[in-house]
This record gives sequence, structure tokens and C-alpha cells, in this order.
Amino acid sequence: MDKETVRTICYLSRLSLSEDGAKNMETDLDTILSMIDQLQEIDTSNIEPMFSPLEQTAIIHDDEVNSDNQKDAYLDQAPESDSNFFRVPKVVE
Amino acid sequence: MQHKTVSELHDLLVSKTITPTELVNESLKLAKKYSSLNCFNFIDEERALTKAKTSLFDPSNPLSCIPVAHKDLFCIKGMQTTCSSKILDGYLPPFTATVVQNLDKVGCITIAKTNMDEFAMGSSNETSYFGNVHNPWLKNHVPGGSSGGAAASVSSGIVPLATGTDTGGSIRQPAALCNLTGLKPTYGRISRWGMIAFASSLDQAGPIAHTAKDCAIALDAMTGHDCKDTTSLAMGPTKAFNSIEVFSKDKTLGIVKEFSDQLSHDMEKAFQESINTYKQLGYKIKEISLPNIKYSVPTYYVIAPAECSSNLSRFDGVRFGLRSKDVKNLEELYINSRSEGFGNEVKRRILIGTYVLSAGYYDAYYKKAQQVRRLITSEFKNAFEQCDLILTPTSPGTAFAFDSKGSKDPTELYLEDLFTIAANLAGIPAISVPQKFVNGLPSGHQLIAPHLHEESILQTAHHFQLNTDWHLRTPQMEEFA
Repeated sequence: MDKETVRTICYLSRLSLSEDGAKNMETDLDTILSMIDQLQEIDTSNIEPMFSPLEQTAIIHDDEVNSDNQKDAYLDQAPESDSNFFRVPKVVE
Repeated sequence: MQHKTVSELHDLLVSKTITPTELVNESLKLAKKYSSLNCFNFIDEERALTKAKTSLFDPSNPLSCIPVAHKDLFCIKGMQTTCSSKILDGYLPPFTATVVQNLDKVGCITIAKTNMDEFAMGSSNETSYFGNVHNPWLKNHVPGGSSGGAAASVSSGIVPLATGTDTGGSIRQPAALCNLTGLKPTYGRISRWGMIAFASSLDQAGPIAHTAKDCAIALDAMTGHDCKDTTSLAMGPTKAFNSIEVFSKDKTLGIVKEFSDQLSHDMEKAFQESINTYKQLGYKIKEISLPNIKYSVPTYYVIAPAECSSNLSRFDGVRFGLRSKDVKNLEELYINSRSEGFGNEVKRRILIGTYVLSAGYYDAYYKKAQQVRRLITSEFKNAFEQCDLILTPTSPGTAFAFDSKGSKDPTELYLEDLFTIAANLAGIPAISVPQKFVNGLPSGHQLIAPHLHEESILQTAHHFQLNTDWHLRTPQMEEFA
């Protein structure tokens, strides 16, 4: 795990680290990855991946309106809102 | 009333020895007396007392007017829900999790939200933004995690029952370290709706209590189909309490060959004593093999971070939670809010998850881990053709001192879940049961069952508890008062 890779995955994760933080993270991620690398010892050819322990098809229910519009309750929790919208810094110059 | 079980408190309510208000008051008093345990993130005295005063006690319902504490990742409308993270400090959900609604319906009275590892990522409760939780058995020692506050709140006798969640052992390991019984049900048994997600294909809620009987009572109330969770099983609530006294002496317990050299001498002795007790009770013991189980920790540390990196992308500083004040544009708003809001362990796991899902690594890590997951799951299926339940230790050791594990090498702490993780990968139920103490501290063993066989592990654990008294031991608590 080099400095550049840590920088890339930090950006993909929308996280930033201090210089020291990034250095420690490099070491930590290396340790974790070498633990994970044990998986390469196993022959998994012809094994289907198992993405969920529940291999049932998702249950579909009717699309019915069944609760009140809770717009205000949700906007109340927003750090910043304006009339009916979440407010964020200007996106278009 | 301190340290009484749900069943004992129910009897006291039935005989009118205590009133619901007295019971709730006592619980709140203990919560204050032992505040130095730091097991609660938030205590809702007013709401609890109002409910106690206005509730009509129902003698036919074993949970009626029983005080409970919920792990601080179950959303409760209008009650602070933080996941022990700075990013959710002060968050007031506009809805209540299904599992909390289910327990409310049968009359449980919520006293508090319990401390936990941040976003349930940890095995020692040391990653919480609100600080460490002490183990009631020994100050400055961890209660286990991530449901550490839940375990400490029951072990200290403040409440008889707490909810927890278990993604890799987060109910069972703290239960073992605090001398409690903790059940992780089959994946899909309990609705995850309103439960803040960590790793969606592994997360499952469950009860932490003193006894298997209390876990059965709680499980029956917590389970049932919920159309708001697409992975919720289309079945009604369990009826585990009704069948708790059914003992089948023909049961065979499988002992995992691959775990045989993983314990210290003292832990091994405690585990052997549990095996002997089961033998004396008439259970057959058989050695079984799960050849790939040793890979369950690395498998988990691909799948759980991958799912967490996706789940935690919702924390962006826009709709709820912390928003960084120091931003010039939208991109900085995302980055700074997340960087200020998440702790180190959460960042580590998001980064690992992002890495294993990124282009070029997906097949080597993510797909590979999901293939190994299937191998481990099919090994369980084969094993359950030779035995009814699998018996293992719950954790490799007892409670350890703060900062003694994982500060230099994070994977050291990940091995705490060596025995528990595989049940999450396979989605099968497992319970931790108190056993012989090791150097004065609690330890536990684990019973694992095939899908949907919660009743079987609860019966077996109850049978063990009728013939042992480890689960009846309670901590002194003097240093916390």
C-alpha cells in the first residue's frame, strides 16, 4: 500500500487524512491487507460467490401510499435547509 | 431488584410486590449510581417514567413493564441516536426501528440508549466517540464489543434486558466477557428496518440477558416479518419461550477440530468443563471438521468493510448529522464533514472497503471472499449432517485491559471474533452461554445451530443453565458506585 494508493482510496471514500494520519493508515492498511491475503491460498474455482446468506428473492409488496408526507420532520434534521430543500454550497459557477 | 432476571421481575410484578413505576425508578436510580461505567449514551428518565405511570400491567405478557436499554443504533423517534459517532451527535430520528416498536408493543419500557463501538466497528467498545465502557466485573477492562454498553447495562443489574446487534460477534463476545447470555438469531429473523446499517448481509439484532429463558422471551417479541425490510423472513414470530423446557437428550454436539489449539490452557480447561457438563446431561459429543473456518476472519474483513464503505456513504453532511463549517464548495463539504465526523477505526474500514471494491481488485478480494463464504457455509451444512449443534468457545480470552489490544496492530483485535464470525457469514443462529470463570473473570461457550433452529440452542443453553450456576454470578460493583 503506497502513498499514492492511499491518496486515491481516500479520495474515492471522500475522506482526507493529515500527513501523519496517512502514514499510520498506510501501515494499518498493509497489516490488514496481508491478513486478508491469506484468502489467496484457497482454490475457489467453480465456486459461486455468496453475496447474501438469504438466497430468497426479495419480497415485493404493493406500491401504496401508506404514511403521511414527513417532509418537515426530515428537513428538521438537515444541517441547513431552505423552504422545501436541503441547502448546500453553490455547485454551478 | 438489581440483577433480577426478566422472569423474576415479571413474577414480582404479578404478585404486586413491586409496581411498574417502582421498577422503572429503581432502574433509573441504578443508572445514575453507576454512571461511571459509561454504558449509556442517553438516559430518557422522563419518557420512561411517563410510560411506567400510564402503562397497564399485563400479567399474561412476560415483558410487560420490563425496563430495557437499546443499543444506540436503533432509531427511536425524537430520541438521540448516535451510533456512538461524532457524525450523528445530536441526531433525532423521525421514525422508530421495527424491533423497538415490537418491544414497545409488548410493554417494554425504554430506559436508555447504550454506548457501543462507533458504528458497531470494534470488539472492545474502545472506538466510541463517547468514551470507553468499563466491564462491571473489573474496572479499566473492556466489556467487549460492539454491544459493550448493552452488556455492561445488564451485567451491572441496571436493566434485565438489552438489545444488541451482531455483525461478527458483537452480541456474543460482550455477553461472554460480562457473564451474560447473548443470542444472534438467523439472518432475516429480526427486521433491520430503523437499525443503522454497518454490513447489511451480516447485521442481525438480538437480545442480551442473564439467561437463555429471558433471551427466548425477548426473541419471541423481537421477531416477525416486516415488509419494510426486504431481507426479513416471511415468517411469524418465534415461539421459543413455550418450548424452552423441551430437552432432547439425543442431541449430538459437534466440537470443531480446527479450533482445538486456539485457546490458552486456562480457557481450554473452562471449555472442557462445559463439554463435560453437556456429556453428563446426556448429550453426545462428536468431533467435526470445518476445514476453511480459519479463513472466516479474513473473509469477514473483506465483506464487512466493503458493505460498510457503501452503507456509510450516506453520511455526507447534507441531509442529517454533522456538517463541517469550514467548506468552500460541495466536494469539501462531503470530505470535511466525513473526515471530522468519523473516528479512526471507521475510516480504516471505509478505506479497506473502498480498496477491495475498486477497479482491478474486485475479483481478487471481494468476489474471492464471497466464494470462500460459500465454502464455509457449505461446510456448516455438511457438519450439521453429523451433529445437531456445534459447540465452541465464544472468545479466545476473557476481558482485557483498556488499550492493551489492537493499538499497534488492528488485526490483533480482529481475532477476538475468531469463533463467532463464521455464524454471521453463514447467516445461522448462535448463542453465548456463561461457563466456568477464568482467573476470576467470566468466560463463555457458544452453541451454533442450522438456519431457523434458535429454539434448539435456547433449549440446550437453558438445560445447561438449569444444571450450572455460572450465569447467576453477579459483579460486586463497589468500585463504580
